Amino acid sequence: MPRPSPETYPSTTVKPADFDQFWTAVLAEADRLPLAPTFEPVPLRSTPQVDVFDVRFTSLDGLRIAAWYCRPAGRRGPLPGLIIVPGYVSEPLLPKLWAERGYAALSLAPRGKLRSNAQFNPGYPGLLTHNIVDRNTYGYRGFYADAYRAVDVLLSRAEVDRGRIGVHGSSQGGALTVLIAALRREITCGAAGAPYLCGFMDAAALTHSYPYQEINDYLRLYPERAGAVRATLNYYDIINFADRITCPMLINIGLEDDVCPPETGYALVRAMTNARVDLHVYPNCAHDAGSAFHARLVADFLAEHLHG
Amino acid sequence: MTSPAPETFTPSARPPADLDAYWQAALDELEALPPAAEVDPLPLRSTDFADCYALKLTSIGPYRLFAYYSVPRGDGPFPAIYHAPAYASVVAVPPYEERRRHVVLSLCARGQRLSDRPFAASYPGLLTHGIESPASYIYRGIVCDAVRGVDFLLSRPEVDARRIAAVGNDLALLVAALRPRVAAVVMANPLFYAAADLAPATSTYPWEEINDYVRLSPDRAAAVFGTLAYFDPLHLAPRVRSAVYLPHDRPGGLFTAERLAPLVAALPDGATLYELTGYGYTDRCAQEAWLADQLGTRAG
Repeated sequence: MPRPSPETYPSTTVKPADFDQFWTAVLAEADRLPLAPTFEPVPLRSTPQVDVFDVRFTSLDGLRIAAWYCRPAGRRGPLPGLIIVPGYVSEPLLPKLWAERGYAALSLAPRGKLRSNAQFNPGYPGLLTHNIVDRNTYGYRGFYADAYRAVDVLLSRAEVDRGRIGVHGSSQGGALTVLIAALRREITCGAAGAPYLCGFMDAAALTHSYPYQEINDYLRLYPERAGAVRATLNYYDIINFADRITCPMLINIGLEDDVCPPETGYALVRAMTNARVDLHVYPNCAHDAGSAFHARLVADFLAEHLHG
Repeated sequence: MTSPAPETFTPSARPPADLDAYWQAALDELEALPPAAEVDPLPLRSTDFADCYALKLTSIGPYRLFAYYSVPRGDGPFPAIYHAPAYASVVAVPPYEERRRHVVLSLCARGQRLSDRPFAASYPGLLTHGIESPASYIYRGIVCDAVRGVDFLLSRPEVDARRIAAVGNDLALLVAALRPRVAAVVMANPLFYAAADLAPATSTYPWEEINDYVRLSPDRAAAVFGTLAYFDPLHLAPRVRSAVYLPHDRPGGLFTAERLAPLVAALPDGATLYELTGYGYTDRCAQEAWLADQLGTRAG
């Protein structure tokens, strides 16, 4: 029997009535904390072309969060800014290649990543179901706030042009790209690959691959908690942030992606009703989402909007 | 820096004179330590067709390791897939579909999450940790960790010892060299292959870690590349008795067929080369089909 078209798969994500109120309160709580950013030079990772800094800043609940900051050596700006956001299991890469292309690039390590896990370390697997029955303490609450604050960290640099800030990532990084573009008006454009955290419960029903399998594992042991899980996740579903985006977005998905099912990627794009979205769909690609071919498009897209 | 010309590529590193003694001493050290295996049920990661266990083993140091161990329900023995430690902090739970018909072992080497006490690896950082000498290099222990995983599989009655495949980077090939009972190896994105020649040809991590180190401490370059020579799969390839599958980059990439040719030539039975298409699903299916052929698990 042929597989139904992923393009028309109906999302079961529901936006809670108090969704905006919930996030306004969380982000206001984050905003009340001094950012206190520090930028320590890292000679070991610097090159004649790129200056590398080890960054720390304060985020929700007072946690100190890490990032890498790379800028073209010897350039004082104004430079276009670029936020790079990581996947679920991967450690943030040093964005040296982006700095070589002329960006002031910040690669974020949200709470739970190795350099940001002294006070919060649910593990992998673990983060996706950490306090999943409670929207007020769910693992992604602070994680999303860390992504939101990354923009402030980049804007704290005098060499960064406030009018040219991009964001890019794949998988969880794709989700965070959409989130940041939704929450921050300063974002000029975003390039999101294989976006994760979209249609959580649909995705868990469509795949047995991790990380979504964490939800299936959890509900196998605690089936009676399904309602509470769904209720929490509706507050964190990236689809529910999507209509806030007004900047240009580049999205790529793989039609054979068993990690972030394409059905959920299509649902996200349908929800981006106020943005100009350039969607690229790659047949015969899995969670790579065509990155072998798409990387050049991302570079061109960011250059068009950020380098002018 | 100029990349080596692919058509004339000849790795510059020579096998260390004491290569065999180095690895024999490491294996002797491992042999002297009981693995003291603990195999505890992990209900959260079990399914209706496979039981998952939290496995603990001791490696050299001594160092206590964690691994996920999945066993299909039903009558064995089963073929086994061993996911050798990758260059990443997180080791994934064994893939769901793989667990239907295979015993699957996913080992967290020292430094990786769940095996990160007392040593927590940094990324970047791990690849050059202790690299000043082969005795202090962290990968001496990590290779032994990986070997311990194979030894565990070989000790289990539910495992068909004639049908064990190792999948990963160089570590998959290195364990097959040090434990020749491994039947099949998939090696992708090697860390150590011709590192003295190929690391300078890229600025991508993790290889860039080597460049970073040498840039800051050029006086130690000879020592660094001298250490890496002990881990180059090229130098241990003659010991391998497994079938080997080498996914490789298209022309213009770092690991092309031309650059891997010396390794293929050094393997007693050669290798199956597969040029990656860039279509991840297509490439994965090809690898799974090759593995199924090696392990006798191809459907139909």
